[in-house]
Amino acid sequence: MMAASRRLVHFVMPASRAQGVASLLLAAVLWELTARYLIKSPILFVPLVAVFERAVALWQAGELQPHIWISFVEFLGGFLMASVVGVAFGVAFSCSRLLRNFFEPWVSMLYSTPIIALGPLFILWLGIGIGSKIAIIFLTAVFPILINTVTGLTTTERTLIEMTRSFGASQAQIYAKVRLPAALPFIIAGLRLGVARALVGVVVAELFGARAGLGFLIVSSAQSFDTAGLFVGVLILAFAGIGSVELLKWVERRLAPWRFQEDGQ
Amino acid sequence: MSAAPLPRAVPVASRPLLAIDSLCKCYFKHETKLEILRDISIDIREGEFVSIVGASGCGKTTFLRLVDGLIGATSGTVRLDGEVITKPGSKIAFVFQQDCLLPWRTVLDNTILGPEIQGGDRKSFRKLARDMLALVGLAGFDGHYPHELSGGMRQRVNIARALAVGPDILLMDEPFAALDAQTRVIMQTELMRICRETGKTVLFVTHQIDEAVYLSDRVLVFTARPGRLKEEVRIDLPRPRELACKWTPEFARYTDHIWHSIEEEVRASIGIEMQQRAGTRA
Repeated sequence: MMAASRRLVHFVMPASRAQGVASLLLAAVLWELTARYLIKSPILFVPLVAVFERAVALWQAGELQPHIWISFVEFLGGFLMASVVGVAFGVAFSCSRLLRNFFEPWVSMLYSTPIIALGPLFILWLGIGIGSKIAIIFLTAVFPILINTVTGLTTTERTLIEMTRSFGASQAQIYAKVRLPAALPFIIAGLRLGVARALVGVVVAELFGARAGLGFLIVSSAQSFDTAGLFVGVLILAFAGIGSVELLKWVERRLAPWRFQEDGQ
Repeated sequence: MSAAPLPRAVPVASRPLLAIDSLCKCYFKHETKLEILRDISIDIREGEFVSIVGASGCGKTTFLRLVDGLIGATSGTVRLDGEVITKPGSKIAFVFQQDCLLPWRTVLDNTILGPEIQGGDRKSFRKLARDMLALVGLAGFDGHYPHELSGGMRQRVNIARALAVGPDILLMDEPFAALDAQTRVIMQTELMRICRETGKTVLFVTHQIDEAVYLSDRVLVFTARPGRLKEEVRIDLPRPRELACKWTPEFARYTDHIWHSIEEEVRASIGIEMQQRAGTRA
Protein backbone atom coordinates (compact mmCIF):
# COMPACT_ATOMS: atom_id res chain seq x y z
CA MET A 1 0.00 0.00 0.00
CA MET A 2 2.75 2.41 1.02
CA ALA A 3 4.87 1.36 -1.92
CA ALA A 4 1.98 1.82 -4.33
CA SER A 5 1.24 5.32 -3.09
CA ARG A 6 4.93 6.19 -3.22
CA ARG A 7 5.02 5.01 -6.82
CA LEU A 8 2.02 7.18 -7.63
CA VAL A 9 3.65 10.22 -6.03
CA HIS A 10 6.81 9.50 -7.98
CA PHE A 11 4.84 9.25 -11.22
CA VAL A 12 3.18 12.63 -10.68
CA MET A 13 6.29 14.30 -9.34
CA PRO A 14 9.82 12.85 -9.53
CA ALA A 15 11.96 13.30 -6.42
CA SER A 16 14.14 16.03 -7.93
CA ARG A 17 11.12 18.17 -8.71
CA ALA A 18 9.50 17.46 -5.33
CA GLN A 19 12.62 18.84 -3.67
CA GLY A 20 12.41 21.98 -5.80
CA VAL A 21 8.76 22.49 -4.95
CA ALA A 22 9.49 21.91 -1.25
CA SER A 23 12.14 24.62 -1.40
CA LEU A 24 9.67 27.08 -2.94
CA LEU A 25 7.02 26.25 -0.33
CA LEU A 26 9.53 26.81 2.47
CA ALA A 27 10.44 30.19 0.98
CA ALA A 28 6.73 31.10 0.81
CA VAL A 29 6.27 30.29 4.50
CA LEU A 30 9.38 32.31 5.45
CA TRP A 31 8.12 35.19 3.30
CA GLU A 32 4.75 35.16 5.01
CA LEU A 33 6.30 35.03 8.50
CA THR A 34 8.79 37.80 7.68
CA ALA A 35 6.04 40.07 6.38
CA ARG A 36 3.72 39.43 9.31
CA TYR A 37 6.16 39.58 12.22
CA LEU A 38 9.46 41.12 11.09
CA ILE A 39 8.94 43.82 8.47
CA LYS A 40 5.50 45.19 9.11
CA SER A 41 5.71 48.28 6.91
CA PRO A 42 3.56 47.62 3.80
CA ILE A 43 5.82 49.90 1.77
CA LEU A 44 8.94 47.85 2.43
CA PHE A 45 7.46 44.38 2.32
CA VAL A 46 4.06 42.73 1.98
CA PRO A 47 2.72 39.28 2.87
CA LEU A 48 2.38 36.80 0.03
CA VAL A 49 -1.36 36.69 0.62
CA ALA A 50 -1.57 40.44 -0.01
CA VAL A 51 0.38 40.00 -3.27
CA PHE A 52 -2.06 37.33 -4.32
CA GLU A 53 -5.04 39.52 -3.44
CA ARG A 54 -3.51 42.42 -5.39
CA ALA A 55 -3.01 40.12 -8.41
CA VAL A 56 -6.67 39.05 -8.28
CA ALA A 57 -7.81 42.65 -7.95
CA LEU A 58 -5.67 43.75 -10.91
CA TRP A 59 -6.94 40.83 -12.95
CA GLN A 60 -10.58 41.54 -12.17
CA ALA A 61 -10.07 45.20 -13.01
CA GLY A 62 -8.72 44.02 -16.36
CA GLU A 63 -5.39 45.77 -15.77
CA LEU A 64 -3.12 42.76 -15.43
CA GLN A 65 -3.99 41.03 -18.71
CA PRO A 66 -2.68 43.76 -21.04
CA HIS A 67 0.56 43.95 -19.03
CA ILE A 68 1.09 40.21 -19.36
CA TRP A 69 0.09 40.24 -23.02
CA ILE A 70 2.41 43.10 -23.98
CA SER A 71 5.36 41.59 -22.15
CA PHE A 72 4.59 38.20 -23.66
CA VAL A 73 4.53 39.60 -27.19
CA GLU A 74 7.79 41.49 -26.61
CA PHE A 75 9.40 38.43 -25.09
CA LEU A 76 8.24 36.14 -27.87
CA GLY A 77 9.26 38.57 -30.61
CA GLY A 78 12.71 39.22 -29.14
CA PHE A 79 13.39 35.62 -28.20
CA LEU A 80 12.24 34.14 -31.52
CA MET A 81 14.36 36.65 -33.40
CA ALA A 82 17.33 35.86 -31.16
CA SER A 83 16.82 32.12 -31.74
CA VAL A 84 16.62 32.40 -35.51
CA VAL A 85 19.50 34.84 -35.84
CA GLY A 86 21.63 33.12 -33.17
CA VAL A 87 21.29 29.68 -34.77
CA ALA A 88 21.66 30.99 -38.34
CA PHE A 89 24.83 32.95 -37.55
CA GLY A 90 26.10 30.05 -35.47
CA VAL A 91 25.74 27.77 -38.50
CA ALA A 92 27.44 30.36 -40.72
CA PHE A 93 30.32 30.80 -38.24
CA SER A 94 30.82 27.08 -37.96
CA CYS A 95 31.16 26.82 -41.74
CA SER A 96 33.56 29.70 -42.25
CA ARG A 97 36.58 30.43 -40.12
CA LEU A 98 36.96 33.78 -41.89
CA LEU A 99 33.46 34.84 -40.86
CA ARG A 100 34.05 33.67 -37.30
CA ASN A 101 37.34 35.55 -36.93
CA PHE A 102 35.79 38.64 -38.46
CA PHE A 103 32.82 38.78 -36.10
CA GLU A 104 34.43 37.36 -32.96
CA PRO A 105 35.45 40.72 -31.40
CA TRP A 106 31.94 42.05 -31.92
CA VAL A 107 30.38 39.04 -30.28
CA SER A 108 32.68 39.22 -27.23
CA MET A 109 32.19 42.95 -26.97
CA LEU A 110 28.41 42.96 -27.23
CA TYR A 111 28.09 39.84 -25.06
CA SER A 112 29.89 41.52 -22.18
CA THR A 113 28.34 44.98 -22.62
CA PRO A 114 25.44 45.47 -20.22
CA ILE A 115 22.65 45.97 -22.73
CA ILE A 116 20.91 48.17 -20.17
CA ALA A 117 23.47 50.81 -21.16
CA LEU A 118 22.09 50.79 -24.70
CA GLY A 119 18.45 51.05 -23.58
CA PRO A 120 18.09 54.83 -23.91
CA LEU A 121 19.75 54.68 -27.33
CA PHE A 122 17.19 52.19 -28.61
CA ILE A 123 14.35 54.37 -27.36
CA LEU A 124 15.87 57.26 -29.34
CA TRP A 125 16.28 55.15 -32.45
CA LEU A 126 13.15 53.02 -32.43
CA GLY A 127 10.72 55.03 -30.30
CA ILE A 128 8.82 54.16 -27.19
CA GLY A 129 6.80 51.36 -28.84
CA ILE A 130 7.38 47.63 -29.06
CA GLY A 131 10.24 47.91 -31.57
CA SER A 132 12.81 49.19 -29.08
CA LYS A 133 11.76 46.53 -26.55
CA ILE A 134 12.16 43.70 -29.03
CA ALA A 135 15.57 45.05 -30.02
CA ILE A 136 16.78 45.08 -26.41
CA ILE A 137 15.40 41.61 -25.66
CA PHE A 138 16.93 40.34 -28.88
CA LEU A 139 20.36 41.70 -27.95
CA THR A 140 20.30 40.27 -24.43
CA ALA A 141 19.24 36.81 -25.60
CA VAL A 142 21.07 36.30 -28.88
CA PHE A 143 24.67 35.76 -27.72
CA PRO A 144 24.36 32.68 -25.54
CA ILE A 145 22.37 31.07 -28.36
CA LEU A 146 24.96 32.05 -30.96
CA ILE A 147 27.95 30.99 -28.86
CA ASN A 148 26.42 27.65 -27.90
CA THR A 149 25.49 26.92 -31.51
CA VAL A 150 29.05 27.59 -32.68
CA THR A 151 30.50 25.51 -29.84
CA GLY A 152 28.13 22.63 -30.55
CA LEU A 153 28.86 22.62 -34.27
CA THR A 154 32.64 22.92 -33.94
CA THR A 155 33.29 20.38 -31.18
CA THR A 156 31.84 17.31 -32.85
CA GLU A 157 33.74 14.19 -31.84
CA ARG A 158 36.37 13.58 -34.50
CA THR A 159 35.87 9.84 -34.37
CA LEU A 160 32.22 10.23 -35.41
CA ILE A 161 33.19 12.43 -38.34
CA GLU A 162 35.89 10.01 -39.43
CA MET A 163 33.48 7.08 -39.17
CA THR A 164 30.99 8.90 -41.41
CA ARG A 165 33.78 9.79 -43.82
CA SER A 166 34.78 6.13 -44.03
CA PHE A 167 31.40 5.46 -45.63
CA GLY A 168 32.25 8.02 -48.31
CA ALA A 169 30.09 10.83 -46.90
CA SER A 170 30.35 14.30 -48.43
CA GLN A 171 30.89 17.40 -46.27
CA ALA A 172 27.19 18.22 -46.60
CA GLN A 173 26.23 14.72 -45.45
CA ILE A 174 28.61 14.91 -42.49
CA TYR A 175 26.99 18.21 -41.56
CA ALA A 176 23.43 16.94 -41.85
CA LYS A 177 23.91 13.51 -40.34
CA VAL A 178 26.49 14.14 -37.62
CA ARG A 179 27.46 17.70 -36.83
CA LEU A 180 23.98 19.21 -36.69
CA PRO A 181 22.33 16.48 -34.59
CA ALA A 182 25.39 16.38 -32.30
CA ALA A 183 25.06 20.14 -31.79
CA LEU A 184 21.35 20.01 -31.00
CA PRO A 185 21.71 19.59 -27.22
CA PHE A 186 24.16 22.52 -27.16
CA ILE A 187 21.71 24.65 -29.13
CA ILE A 188 18.87 23.81 -26.76
CA ALA A 189 21.08 24.64 -23.77
CA GLY A 190 21.84 27.96 -25.48
CA LEU A 191 18.11 28.58 -25.89
CA ARG A 192 17.63 27.87 -22.20
CA LEU A 193 20.22 30.49 -21.30
CA GLY A 194 18.63 32.79 -23.86
CA VAL A 195 15.18 32.44 -22.28
CA ALA A 196 16.46 33.53 -18.88
CA ARG A 197 18.28 36.48 -20.37
CA ALA A 198 15.29 37.46 -22.51
CA LEU A 199 13.13 37.71 -19.38
CA VAL A 200 15.70 40.06 -17.86
CA GLY A 201 15.57 41.91 -21.17
CA VAL A 202 11.82 42.39 -20.83
CA VAL A 203 12.19 44.26 -17.56
CA VAL A 204 15.25 46.21 -18.72
CA ALA A 205 13.47 47.24 -21.92
CA GLU A 206 10.41 48.44 -20.04
CA LEU A 207 12.42 50.38 -17.46
CA PHE A 208 13.00 53.11 -20.04
CA GLY A 209 9.78 54.65 -21.21
CA ALA A 210 7.07 52.08 -21.65
CA ARG A 211 3.30 52.36 -21.54
CA ALA A 212 2.51 48.80 -20.52
CA GLY A 213 4.07 45.48 -19.66
CA LEU A 214 5.19 43.67 -16.51
CA GLY A 215 8.38 45.74 -16.27
CA PHE A 216 6.24 48.85 -16.52
CA LEU A 217 3.92 47.46 -13.83
CA ILE A 218 6.94 46.96 -11.54
CA VAL A 219 8.30 50.46 -12.14
CA SER A 220 4.97 52.27 -11.87
CA SER A 221 3.95 50.28 -8.75
CA ALA A 222 7.23 51.23 -7.10
CA GLN A 223 6.71 54.86 -7.95
CA SER A 224 3.27 54.83 -6.30
CA PHE A 225 4.46 52.79 -3.26
CA ASP A 226 2.27 49.86 -4.32
CA THR A 227 4.69 47.18 -3.13
CA ALA A 228 2.14 44.39 -3.59
CA GLY A 229 1.70 45.42 -7.24
CA LEU A 230 5.47 45.40 -7.67
CA PHE A 231 5.67 41.83 -6.39
CA VAL A 232 2.84 40.77 -8.73
CA GLY A 233 5.05 41.74 -11.68
CA VAL A 234 8.18 40.13 -10.20
CA LEU A 235 6.47 36.84 -9.36
CA ILE A 236 4.80 36.51 -12.76
CA LEU A 237 8.19 36.99 -14.43
CA ALA A 238 9.79 34.52 -12.05
CA PHE A 239 7.22 31.85 -12.82
CA ALA A 240 7.45 32.56 -16.54
CA GLY A 241 11.19 31.91 -16.17
CA ILE A 242 10.73 28.64 -14.34
CA GLY A 243 8.04 27.54 -16.79
CA SER A 244 10.03 28.24 -19.95
CA VAL A 245 13.26 26.76 -18.61
CA GLU A 246 11.41 23.61 -17.56
CA LEU A 247 9.81 23.43 -21.01
CA LEU A 248 13.19 23.62 -22.71
CA LYS A 249 14.64 21.05 -20.32
CA TRP A 250 11.83 18.75 -21.33
CA VAL A 251 12.58 19.36 -25.01
CA GLU A 252 16.26 18.65 -24.32
CA ARG A 253 15.39 15.39 -22.65
CA ARG A 254 13.26 14.37 -25.60
CA LEU A 255 15.87 15.30 -28.18
CA ALA A 256 18.98 14.06 -26.39
CA PRO A 257 18.01 11.30 -23.96
CA TRP A 258 21.53 9.87 -23.96
CA ARG A 259 22.81 12.95 -22.15
CA PHE A 260 20.60 12.21 -19.17
CA GLN A 261 21.29 8.52 -18.72
CA GLU A 262 23.16 9.10 -15.46
CA ASP A 263 19.93 10.50 -13.97
CA GLY A 264 18.57 6.98 -14.17
CA GLN A 265 15.47 8.15 -15.99
CA MET B 1 62.96 -20.84 -28.71
CA SER B 2 61.77 -18.80 -31.64
CA ALA B 3 63.74 -21.11 -33.87
CA ALA B 4 61.18 -23.89 -33.41
CA PRO B 5 59.98 -24.89 -36.87
CA LEU B 6 56.49 -23.69 -37.72
CA PRO B 7 54.24 -25.79 -39.94
CA ARG B 8 54.11 -24.28 -43.42
CA ALA B 9 50.79 -23.52 -44.95
CA VAL B 10 49.57 -24.77 -48.27
CA PRO B 11 49.02 -21.72 -50.51
CA VAL B 12 45.43 -20.56 -50.51
CA ALA B 13 43.94 -21.03 -53.94
CA SER B 14 41.72 -17.94 -53.98
CA ARG B 15 42.52 -14.83 -56.04
CA PRO B 16 44.26 -11.80 -54.55
CA LEU B 17 41.66 -9.19 -53.61
CA LEU B 18 43.70 -6.41 -52.06
CA ALA B 19 47.11 -5.54 -53.49
CA ILE B 20 49.21 -3.12 -51.48
CA ASP B 21 52.34 -2.03 -53.30
CA SER B 22 55.31 -0.26 -51.65
CA LEU B 23 53.15 1.95 -49.48
CA CYS B 24 54.91 4.81 -47.67
CA LYS B 25 53.56 7.49 -45.39
CA CYS B 26 55.40 10.51 -44.03
CA TYR B 27 54.19 13.53 -42.14
CA PHE B 28 55.89 16.88 -42.26
CA LYS B 29 55.74 18.87 -39.08
CA HIS B 30 57.72 22.07 -38.50
CA GLU B 31 59.97 21.22 -41.47
CA THR B 32 60.92 17.87 -39.93
CA LYS B 33 60.00 14.68 -41.68
CA LEU B 34 58.28 12.04 -39.61
CA GLU B 35 58.31 8.69 -41.37
CA ILE B 36 55.40 6.52 -40.24
CA LEU B 37 55.35 3.66 -42.73
CA ARG B 38 58.07 2.50 -45.07
CA ASP B 39 57.67 0.43 -48.19
CA ILE B 40 54.91 -1.98 -47.26
CA SER B 41 53.75 -4.51 -49.83
CA ILE B 42 51.10 -7.06 -49.01
CA ASP B 43 48.66 -9.15 -51.04
CA ILE B 44 45.47 -10.27 -49.36
CA ARG B 45 43.40 -13.03 -50.89
CA GLU B 46 39.67 -13.24 -50.99
CA GLY B 47 38.21 -14.73 -47.83
CA GLU B 48 41.48 -14.43 -45.93
CA PHE B 49 41.72 -13.17 -42.35
CA VAL B 50 44.94 -11.22 -41.91
CA SER B 51 46.04 -9.57 -38.67
CA ILE B 52 48.66 -6.91 -38.12
CA VAL B 53 50.49 -6.78 -34.81
CA GLY B 54 53.19 -4.39 -33.73
CA ALA B 55 54.31 -2.05 -30.98
CA SER B 56 52.22 1.03 -30.29
CA GLY B 57 53.08 3.86 -32.61
CA CYS B 58 54.25 1.54 -35.37
CA GLY B 59 51.68 2.94 -37.78
CA LYS B 60 49.12 0.10 -37.75
CA THR B 61 46.17 2.46 -37.56
CA THR B 62 47.69 4.79 -40.15
CA PHE B 63 48.11 1.78 -42.39
CA LEU B 64 44.41 0.88 -42.12
CA ARG B 65 43.39 4.48 -42.79
CA LEU B 66 45.56 4.48 -45.90
CA VAL B 67 43.99 1.25 -47.15
CA ASP B 68 40.51 2.71 -46.59
CA GLY B 69 41.43 5.91 -48.44
CA LEU B 70 40.72 8.13 -45.43
CA ILE B 71 44.20 9.58 -45.88
CA GLY B 72 46.48 9.66 -48.89
CA ALA B 73 49.78 7.79 -49.18
CA THR B 74 53.08 9.61 -49.66
CA SER B 75 53.93 6.99 -52.26
CA GLY B 76 52.77 3.54 -53.27
CA THR B 77 49.32 2.26 -54.13
CA VAL B 78 46.43 0.28 -52.72
CA ARG B 79 44.47 -1.70 -55.28
CA LEU B 80 41.19 -3.45 -54.63
CA ASP B 81 40.30 -5.83 -57.44
CA GLY B 82 42.81 -3.97 -59.60
CA GLU B 83 41.23 -0.59 -58.91
CA VAL B 84 43.36 2.06 -57.16
CA ILE B 85 41.83 3.28 -53.90
CA THR B 86 41.96 7.06 -53.50
CA LYS B 87 38.99 7.78 -51.25
CA PRO B 88 36.63 5.89 -48.95
CA GLY B 89 33.84 4.00 -50.67
CA SER B 90 31.40 1.16 -50.27
CA LYS B 91 33.79 -1.66 -51.20
CA ILE B 92 35.85 -1.27 -48.05
CA ALA B 93 34.26 -0.89 -44.63
CA PHE B 94 36.03 0.32 -41.51
CA VAL B 95 35.29 -0.89 -37.99
CA PHE B 96 36.75 1.60 -35.54
CA GLN B 97 38.15 0.94 -32.11
CA GLN B 98 35.49 3.08 -30.44
CA ASP B 99 32.06 1.93 -31.50
CA CYS B 100 31.39 5.40 -33.01
CA LEU B 101 27.64 4.95 -32.83
CA LEU B 102 25.51 8.06 -33.27
CA PRO B 103 23.82 8.41 -29.88
CA TRP B 104 20.68 10.01 -31.33
CA ARG B 105 20.02 7.12 -33.68
CA THR B 106 18.47 3.78 -32.80
CA VAL B 107 20.39 0.57 -33.42
CA LEU B 108 18.60 0.08 -36.75
CA ASP B 109 19.13 3.67 -37.87
CA ASN B 110 22.81 3.42 -36.94
CA THR B 111 23.12 0.26 -38.98
CA ILE B 112 21.62 1.84 -42.12
CA LEU B 113 23.95 4.87 -41.94
CA GLY B 114 26.36 3.52 -44.56
CA PRO B 115 23.75 2.57 -47.18
CA GLU B 116 21.93 5.83 -46.42
CA ILE B 117 25.07 7.83 -47.23
CA GLN B 118 25.72 5.83 -50.36
CA GLY B 119 22.14 6.24 -51.53
CA GLY B 120 19.62 3.74 -52.76
CA ASP B 121 16.29 2.24 -51.89
CA ARG B 122 15.51 2.89 -48.22
CA LYS B 123 13.24 -0.06 -47.87
CA SER B 124 15.74 -2.59 -49.17
CA PHE B 125 18.52 -1.40 -46.94
CA ARG B 126 16.32 -1.48 -43.88
CA LYS B 127 15.77 -5.13 -44.63
CA LEU B 128 19.50 -5.63 -45.16
CA ALA B 129 20.29 -3.84 -41.90
CA ARG B 130 17.87 -6.12 -40.03
CA ASP B 131 19.58 -9.16 -41.55
CA MET B 132 22.99 -7.84 -40.48
CA LEU B 133 21.75 -7.18 -36.94
CA ALA B 134 20.44 -10.74 -36.81
CA LEU B 135 23.81 -11.97 -38.09
CA VAL B 136 25.68 -10.25 -35.26
CA GLY B 137 23.16 -11.61 -32.75
CA LEU B 138 21.18 -8.43 -32.11
CA ALA B 139 17.79 -9.35 -33.57
CA GLY B 140 15.07 -7.56 -31.62
CA PHE B 141 17.22 -4.60 -30.59
CA ASP B 142 16.28 -2.43 -33.61
CA GLY B 143 14.65 0.29 -31.55
CA HIS B 144 17.23 0.51 -28.73
CA TYR B 145 19.50 3.49 -28.38
CA PRO B 146 23.28 3.01 -28.02
CA HIS B 147 23.26 4.20 -24.40
CA GLU B 148 20.90 1.34 -23.60
CA LEU B 149 23.42 -1.26 -24.80
CA SER B 150 26.53 -2.79 -23.23
CA GLY B 151 29.99 -2.24 -24.72
CA GLY B 152 29.95 -5.65 -26.40
CA MET B 153 26.52 -5.04 -27.93
CA ARG B 154 27.61 -1.64 -29.23
CA GLN B 155 30.61 -3.25 -30.90
CA ARG B 156 28.23 -5.74 -32.53
CA VAL B 157 26.22 -2.85 -33.96
CA ASN B 158 29.49 -1.33 -35.15
CA ILE B 159 30.25 -4.54 -37.06
CA ALA B 160 26.71 -4.84 -38.44
CA ARG B 161 26.90 -1.24 -39.69
CA ALA B 162 30.14 -2.01 -41.55
CA LEU B 163 28.67 -5.19 -43.06
CA ALA B 164 25.50 -3.37 -44.15
CA VAL B 165 27.27 -1.60 -47.02
CA GLY B 166 28.11 -5.00 -48.47
CA PRO B 167 31.89 -4.46 -48.51
CA ASP B 168 34.41 -6.75 -50.20
CA ILE B 169 36.77 -6.31 -47.30
CA LEU B 170 36.48 -5.32 -43.65
CA LEU B 171 39.17 -3.23 -41.97
CA MET B 172 39.08 -3.57 -38.20
CA ASP B 173 41.13 -1.33 -35.93
CA GLU B 174 41.43 -2.98 -32.50
CA PRO B 175 37.67 -3.38 -32.35
CA PHE B 176 37.68 -5.29 -29.07
CA ALA B 177 40.36 -3.31 -27.24
CA ALA B 178 37.85 -1.39 -25.14
CA LEU B 179 35.99 -4.49 -23.99
CA ASP B 180 36.60 -6.47 -20.82
CA ALA B 181 38.60 -9.71 -21.20
CA GLN B 182 35.62 -12.12 -21.12
CA THR B 183 33.50 -10.10 -23.52
CA ARG B 184 36.48 -9.86 -25.82
CA VAL B 185 36.81 -13.64 -26.04
CA ILE B 186 33.11 -13.97 -26.83
CA MET B 187 33.38 -11.28 -29.50
CA GLN B 188 36.36 -13.10 -31.04
CA THR B 189 34.37 -16.30 -31.46
CA GLU B 190 31.43 -14.28 -32.76
CA LEU B 191 33.61 -12.51 -35.32
CA MET B 192 34.98 -15.87 -36.45
CA ARG B 193 31.45 -17.19 -36.89
CA ILE B 194 30.40 -14.07 -38.85
CA CYS B 195 33.42 -14.41 -41.14
CA ARG B 196 32.66 -18.09 -41.69
CA GLU B 197 29.03 -17.32 -42.56
CA THR B 198 29.72 -14.37 -44.87
CA GLY B 199 33.12 -15.40 -46.25
CA LYS B 200 34.34 -11.82 -45.76
CA THR B 201 37.96 -10.82 -46.17
CA VAL B 202 39.28 -9.11 -43.05
CA LEU B 203 42.32 -6.99 -42.31
CA PHE B 204 42.53 -6.79 -38.54
CA VAL B 205 44.78 -4.66 -36.33
CA THR B 206 45.35 -5.69 -32.72
CA HIS B 207 47.70 -5.43 -29.78
CA GLN B 208 46.84 -8.86 -28.55
CA ILE B 209 49.01 -11.57 -29.99
CA ASP B 210 46.69 -14.38 -28.91
CA GLU B 211 43.75 -12.61 -30.53
CA ALA B 212 45.70 -12.32 -33.78
CA VAL B 213 46.71 -16.00 -33.75
CA TYR B 214 43.25 -17.20 -32.81
CA LEU B 215 41.46 -15.31 -35.58
CA SER B 216 43.91 -15.22 -38.46
CA ASP B 217 45.12 -17.14 -41.44
CA ARG B 218 48.19 -14.91 -41.49
CA VAL B 219 49.72 -12.59 -38.92
CA LEU B 220 51.90 -9.72 -40.12
CA VAL B 221 54.42 -8.31 -37.67
CA PHE B 222 55.29 -4.64 -38.10
CA THR B 223 58.53 -3.11 -36.91
CA ALA B 224 58.76 -0.07 -34.65
CA ARG B 225 58.46 3.30 -36.39
CA PRO B 226 58.89 3.66 -39.27
CA GLY B 227 56.62 0.66 -39.65
CA ARG B 228 57.88 -1.98 -42.04
CA LEU B 229 56.78 -5.52 -42.60
CA LYS B 230 59.06 -7.54 -40.36
CA GLU B 231 57.65 -11.00 -40.59
CA GLU B 232 54.71 -12.90 -41.94
CA VAL B 233 53.45 -15.88 -39.95
CA ARG B 234 50.99 -18.35 -41.43
CA ILE B 235 48.65 -19.80 -38.84
CA ASP B 236 47.87 -23.37 -39.77
CA LEU B 237 45.51 -24.19 -36.96
CA PRO B 238 42.54 -26.10 -38.39
CA ARG B 239 39.21 -24.33 -38.77
CA PRO B 240 36.62 -24.09 -37.35
CA ARG B 241 38.65 -23.18 -34.27
CA GLU B 242 37.17 -23.89 -30.88
CA LEU B 243 38.05 -21.71 -27.92
CA ALA B 244 39.99 -24.69 -26.54
CA CYS B 245 42.54 -24.35 -29.32
CA LYS B 246 43.98 -21.41 -27.38
CA TRP B 247 45.39 -23.89 -24.86
CA THR B 248 47.06 -26.24 -27.33
CA PRO B 249 50.88 -26.37 -27.63
CA GLU B 250 50.66 -25.35 -31.31
CA PHE B 251 48.83 -22.19 -30.35
CA ALA B 252 51.43 -21.38 -27.69
CA ARG B 253 54.19 -21.97 -30.23
CA TYR B 254 52.66 -19.33 -32.53
CA THR B 255 52.17 -16.78 -29.79
CA ASP B 256 55.70 -17.38 -28.44
CA HIS B 257 57.17 -16.98 -31.88
CA ILE B 258 55.29 -13.75 -32.57
CA TRP B 259 56.04 -12.36 -29.14
CA HIS B 260 59.77 -12.90 -29.67
CA SER B 261 59.52 -11.24 -33.05
CA ILE B 262 57.69 -8.29 -31.57
CA GLU B 263 59.59 -7.90 -28.33
CA GLU B 264 62.58 -6.00 -29.66
CA GLU B 265 60.23 -3.76 -31.64
CA VAL B 266 58.30 -2.92 -28.51
CA ARG B 267 61.58 -2.06 -26.77
CA ALA B 268 62.63 0.08 -29.73
CA SER B 269 59.32 1.87 -29.76
CA ILE B 270 59.47 2.57 -26.02
CA GLY B 271 62.89 4.09 -26.73
CA ILE B 272 61.46 6.34 -29.45
CA GLU B 273 58.67 7.39 -27.13
CA MET B 274 61.06 8.28 -24.29
CA GLN B 275 63.33 10.20 -26.63
CA GLN B 276 60.34 12.21 -27.89
CA ARG B 277 59.12 13.05 -24.42
CA ALA B 278 62.60 14.04 -23.29
CA GLY B 279 62.77 16.25 -26.37
CA THR B 280 59.59 18.11 -25.54
CA ARG B 281 61.02 19.17 -22.15
CA ALA B 282 64.30 20.45 -23.59
